[in-house]
Amino acid sequence: MLKSVSRAVQLAARLSISSSAPPLRRTFSRSIWSLSSSGAGSDSRPRLLTATRALPSLSCGCGSLHTEGDKAFAEFLTDEIKEEKKIQKDKSLPKMSGGWELELNGTEAKLNRSLSGEKVTITFNVNNSIPPQLEEDPEHTQKSPEGEPDIVSTPNFVVEVTKPGVKSSLVFDCHFPEDELFVSEQTAHGETEEESDIFAIREVSFQPEGDAEWKETSYTLNTDSLDWALYDHLMGFLADRGVDNTFADELIELSTALEHQEYIKFLEDLSTFVKCK
Amino acid sequence: MGVVLRNLQSVVPLRRARLRRDVEVLRHIFGVQRFDLGIICVDNRRIQHINNLYRKNNQPTDVLSFPFYEDLRPGKIPCALQRDEYNLGDIFLGVEYVKHRCKETSQDLHEALTVVTAHGICHLLGYRHETEEEWIEMQQKESYILSEFNRLTGSHLEPLTKRCT
Repeated sequence: MLKSVSRAVQLAARLSISSSAPPLRRTFSRSIWSLSSSGAGSDSRPRLLTATRALPSLSCGCGSLHTEGDKAFAEFLTDEIKEEKKIQKDKSLPKMSGGWELELNGTEAKLNRSLSGEKVTITFNVNNSIPPQLEEDPEHTQKSPEGEPDIVSTPNFVVEVTKPGVKSSLVFDCHFPEDELFVSEQTAHGETEEESDIFAIREVSFQPEGDAEWKETSYTLNTDSLDWALYDHLMGFLADRGVDNTFADELIELSTALEHQEYIKFLEDLSTFVKCK
Repeated sequence: MGVVLRNLQSVVPLRRARLRRDVEVLRHIFGVQRFDLGIICVDNRRIQHINNLYRKNNQPTDVLSFPFYEDLRPGKIPCALQRDEYNLGDIFLGVEYVKHRCKETSQDLHEALTVVTAHGICHLLGYRHETEEEWIEMQQKESYILSEFNRLTGSHLEPLTKRCT
């Protein structure tokens, strides 16, 4: 190809010397044009710039790009979706005990409950809810029968407690502590013992009821350096409203199932997008 | 620091504030207010696992103590030189096991947990019950501690009457 370009340049240079009128640039571009032309008489000339260069495309007539890579990708996704559906424990989401009503909005879930006039709402989002799997000791990592580590969703969640006639809600920002952040006792046998609470309160604040925006000017209690007795009372307050360790375990089950459901749906949408059907 | 309380189980509803309050009273009576203490509440599965791991006893139990200071003379308050030595150790409470026992004896769960915790703190302070003599010595200490607790709080707690398994 390079030989053809250099020959074209030489040809253009000779033409510019022999003819006084046309500038070198026009002659050069004409030469290039003639090399790329598919008109009569051009068959004997080496083709330099043709539409058949580079992109391996598979046309479906939609006007979008389709490549061999896309085809392989689509095939991979088909298999992946099949495998994910196979390991999906249940197509329906697990029920929470305690009379919680579930509302879904994509990846965001709300659990609502009324208790003697009080309204309790739990909100969480399954996006970014799967902690990194640090397999320092693969023998002690919980694994599925296939040998892959179990994927568990432990989302941060917000508890809002609203009393009748009170404009502000008491809001708790809660999370599931990652055990690697806590002192994990290494036993004499090398096994690690989890020593953190199942869930923990991170912040507490009064927020205007129903407002989606967090009011930054409301005092927010951070539990990092909080008196532990006060912290225990706050946990007791939540437990009395149904937010206890049992609830936390069930929330993990629900979030894990919802995350898996959304992941499969995403794969299906991705497959449709790639295949363009 | 102080009392680090962790509830790792969801089998038995637990009033953390109540347990912490009672443990603080016990620490005061034992004279170990300056010492940190870990209280970890676990279910049967976990306490059985720990019991088997450390005592080769593959069954659930009510309490397992892990002293910071080993080989203390019974009842001796440890002599700590640095801040991080003000630590008594950890007590694992088998709350599910205790709950089951309470059902049989109609005892209040949190009162039973307080008694079991007092027993656990005795172990952290060097008390044993391997021999008859040791058991009598420990029983006497527990009785004193709980009688003081009852006096301060108006409760009616009694020491564990049988030896730990």
